[in-house]
Amino acid sequence: MADTSSLLARFRPLLFLAALLLFWEIGVPLLGIPGYVLPLPSAIATRFMETASIQLQGLAVTGMTTLVGLALALVFGVLLALAVIYVPVLRSLVMPLLAAFNSIPKIAVAPLFVIWFGLGVESKIILAFLLALFPVFVNSLTGLGEIEADVIDLSTLAGGSRWRIFTKVRLMNAVPYITDALKVAFPLALVGSIVGEFIGGNSGIGHLILFGQFNMDTPLVFAALVSITVFTTLGIGAVSLFERMALTWRPSQRRR
Amino acid sequence: MSASLIVENLSKTFGSTLAIDQASFSVPENSFVSIVGPSGCGKSTLLRIAAGLVRASSGRINLRGQEVTGPIRDVGMVFQAPVLLPWRTTLDNILFVAEMGGLRAADYEGRARELMALAGLSGFEESRPFELSGGMQQRAAICRAMLLKPSLILMDEPFGALDVITRERMGFALQTLWEESRNTVLFVTHSITEAVLLSDIVVVMSPRPGRIHDIVEIDLPRSRTTATLRDPRFVAFAARVREGIEAGETEY
Ligand SMILES: Nc1ncnc2c1ncn2[C@@H]1O[C@H](COP(=O)(O)OP(=O)(O)OP(=O)(O)O)[C@@H](O)[C@H]1O
Ligand SMILES: [Mg+2]
Repeated sequence: MADTSSLLARFRPLLFLAALLLFWEIGVPLLGIPGYVLPLPSAIATRFMETASIQLQGLAVTGMTTLVGLALALVFGVLLALAVIYVPVLRSLVMPLLAAFNSIPKIAVAPLFVIWFGLGVESKIILAFLLALFPVFVNSLTGLGEIEADVIDLSTLAGGSRWRIFTKVRLMNAVPYITDALKVAFPLALVGSIVGEFIGGNSGIGHLILFGQFNMDTPLVFAALVSITVFTTLGIGAVSLFERMALTWRPSQRRR
Repeated sequence: MSASLIVENLSKTFGSTLAIDQASFSVPENSFVSIVGPSGCGKSTLLRIAAGLVRASSGRINLRGQEVTGPIRDVGMVFQAPVLLPWRTTLDNILFVAEMGGLRAADYEGRARELMALAGLSGFEESRPFELSGGMQQRAAICRAMLLKPSLILMDEPFGALDVITRERMGFALQTLWEESRNTVLFVTHSITEAVLLSDIVVVMSPRPGRIHDIVEIDLPRSRTTATLRDPRFVAFAARVREGIEAGETEY
């Protein structure tokens, strides 16, 4: 009995989704909504299968710019946090600048990046990077910086050099903060890539969506959205999997 | 017995508040010395100065003939909280000080396991701190402080966060560990019973500004047990320490 109920609990979200799709498939025609406004799930699925190879090509491009942007954000976010922690002067210089910078809606200045970096992948990578940078930086700052004074004293008295304290204390403490940041930064980087593709260029999922809109091919637009959703889910799933395997000591990951 | 730690005319001011006023005492080699005194009399500050983590405003501290001017490496520290790293196993937490000192952790694993056994932690080597009780975590912290056989171990109310029953057991566990290692220990506590039971010497401090009011030598035989608590001499020592604290409180 316990087995069936836990199985049911596990598949409950899927069952709910299936019910929703069924409702959509049957309900929308009854309401008289035309297919070019809200296509039926079956039409979206058909279009998805028809365009599978284009979808994959688009995802490869968008996925690449997203992941490269994210990786750059990870490296520079952590380095920037380190600089601010170890060089206190930088804190008063960098922090207000970064706060001001973060308040600029980067989507609004995206056209500028296209002017500066062209229609190729560079402008998309930079947009993805800039959108992902802030959460990585802020969380790294907390994870690397907020170490109990007693831990630092203990390490110092044991003869710990700055480098050893960094690798064995600060970095280890920061890992869960950074994985948390990645879960937020990943979809943001994706937004950066897709907005870049909207503004200029001729490849990627963003381009595919624009193409669908241009041709009033609503099922194609929805099919592209499905591709993105699958991609994001896989990406965040990978981070969560890492957390579950490597961060078993975290309160949220403990099995009681 | 030669002195390991010598504190001479030590004063410390924070801004305009005088936290410690002209404290002098010494800790003989391989002895267990306690500091008792009311909250805020500067006990933690004194320990931090002894460790070289904080500079004194005036006066001197000598450890084995060397003046303390900066953080000293040859010292073990136990805080009121266990301060274990949550991502490390208990064994690895104890070995942490070896790694920080640039030593090969593997060389100290045997000793770490021995200490864990003495502290009643056998079988918990691979457990994470959150799987241990508060008392067990604090015992692990004591093992960690003893791992490298430092010339001085400083303990700042290590049992302060524990309940009375656990606290008493911890006192005896500490005695067992200490009798094995005979490290020089400077131990801060609020508990008069704990101080008298564990120590060779009890330093009594008075509050605001922290002054040394009395120094009591406890020459009760070791190992001490619960029976010691009923020994008339133990009761007399405890009474003298209490008098010292109370006199110090009304004096100023
Ligand atoms: N960093 C600091 N800056 C300013 N004042 C401080 C600082 N550290 C300690 N003090 C002051 O020095 C005095 C002694 O503090 P300390 O923490 O050493 O007391 P304590 O005896 O350990 O007290 P408790 O038993 O409550 O732990 C207190 O009046 C405290 O306010
Ligand atoms: Mg204190």
